[in-house]
Amino acid sequence: MEFNYEFDWAIPFTDPYLGMIITGIKVTLILFAATTVTSLCLGTVIAIMRISRITILRAAGTLYVEIFRNVPGLFWILFFYFVFPELLPEKWGQALNHYSHYPVVAGIMGLTVDNASYVSDILRSGRLAIPHGQREAAISTGLGRVQQYSHVLLPQMFRVTLPPLGTRMVHNFKNTSLCMAITAPELTWATQNIESLTFRGIEATSIATGFYIVLAGIMVSIIILLEKYLKIDVSSINQSSA
Amino acid sequence: MIKFIATNKWFKDRHVLKNINLEIAKGEVIVICGPSGAGKSTLIRTINKLEPIDDGEIIVDGMYLSDPKTDLTLLRAEIGMVFQHFNLYPHKSAIKNITLAPRKVRGLSKNQATDRAEKLLDKVGLIHRRDAFPVQLSGGEQQRVAIARSLAMEPKIMLFDEPTSALDPELINEVLDVMTSLAKEGMTMVVVTHEIGFAQKVADRVVFMDDGEILEEGTPPDIFVNPRHQRTKEFMSSVFHIPIFDANQEED
Ligand SMILES: Nc1ncnc2c1ncn2[C@@H]1O[C@H](COP(=O)(O)OP(=O)(O)OP(=O)(O)O)[C@@H](O)[C@H]1O
Ligand SMILES: [Mg+2]
Repeated sequence: MEFNYEFDWAIPFTDPYLGMIITGIKVTLILFAATTVTSLCLGTVIAIMRISRITILRAAGTLYVEIFRNVPGLFWILFFYFVFPELLPEKWGQALNHYSHYPVVAGIMGLTVDNASYVSDILRSGRLAIPHGQREAAISTGLGRVQQYSHVLLPQMFRVTLPPLGTRMVHNFKNTSLCMAITAPELTWATQNIESLTFRGIEATSIATGFYIVLAGIMVSIIILLEKYLKIDVSSINQSSA
Repeated sequence: MIKFIATNKWFKDRHVLKNINLEIAKGEVIVICGPSGAGKSTLIRTINKLEPIDDGEIIVDGMYLSDPKTDLTLLRAEIGMVFQHFNLYPHKSAIKNITLAPRKVRGLSKNQATDRAEKLLDKVGLIHRRDAFPVQLSGGEQQRVAIARSLAMEPKIMLFDEPTSALDPELINEVLDVMTSLAKEGMTMVVVTHEIGFAQKVADRVVFMDDGEILEEGTPPDIFVNPRHQRTKEFMSSVFHIPIFDANQEED
């Protein structure tokens, strides 16, 4: 067998394929940005439930993590795309199915519930790393429960868990490519589409690969910078638990 | 100001406070000492309900702690607490450590809280460390910031749980000096400490605890020089290797 593929690097840069790639990059970034925010919010709520003193909340939080962490993220993306609209009242379900951006929305929901389970795990371990004295100091100055979390505990939980949270976000970034399974027009889907239309998949895929590498690299650098910037406050956590 | 009436507390089946009766008047400085595990920390932590009691009553400034309707935020706002390990918020600068509760609990504006915090930092001799983070402060400095943080709530009572026992010897006095001046201003203080010099100079009364009980209480000479109980005598000679009379003669 002879390797007789002839590269044509112009293809991905011509109409309409260039448009597909640009749209793909946009959608990938939207999926990533949206799910970073939503999964951090949901993950924080779940983490707080799991360390709550209220048994029902704790049980619900644990159940959430068991369900969402042990089933592949791709399943949840498919679930929100195919099954979720059927579970809603018929009118709503139909509206979703006819909504042209629903693949992106379903992708955001699927990625969110998946990533949030990991985020909650990471934050919970961060909470356990904070000495008792922090909460006691907050209580004894009269801060209420919500204030204890918002001003004392959560800021420290995010600081001590910054490295694993960052790694988690890079994973989540890569997972956006799973949304191609439900035709969300993100970058991987775009390259597959170009492949099937032009048989020039290698070129398009190479461009996509470069994009993923560069963006993940940028994210890792941002995380390292943040760690450096916040380091001063983190190191004293261990000291005061002595 | 603070009144314990037949207070009992258990951790599981461990009886850690046994029928505590103690009355502390406004402006009094009480030093609590006793061996490890005696229940000293538990006792002072019941005053701001960091530890709930199982039996009896504690009345703090007219508030009944066993009454579920007692406003715990109000109670805790009136009681400052200083811990052995300082417990400063590591992610906040000295000034932000101090302004947090006055702003969130007392509702002070940012400017009001900052003004107050700066005055207190000045008072504890650390205004030049205003923007330092806890990790950049020495233990003694951290503890003085922690005292300022408690004072910023303008408490009526200050509780200290071994405030100097995590400090290097050369840093102890700077903290004790702040506490001494606070006592002179008339603050009601309950202090768990084994700093005999401080107790001799500042305490109105010393309470000796052992195994969950108040074994005896009295003036510093009563407890340090002429303890009635054998247990107190043993403890005093084991903790304070220096002959007790020496310390006593330093007075006047
Ligand atoms: N949260 C807790 N759960 C169970 N037992 C506890 C708890 N806190 C304290 N105890 C026990 O209660 C007893 C009194 O403890 P406490 O900390 O009040 O003693 P202490 O006099 O302050 O001792 P130290 O000088 O070591 O600080 C000890 O036997 C201790 O083991
Ligand atoms: Mg103690």
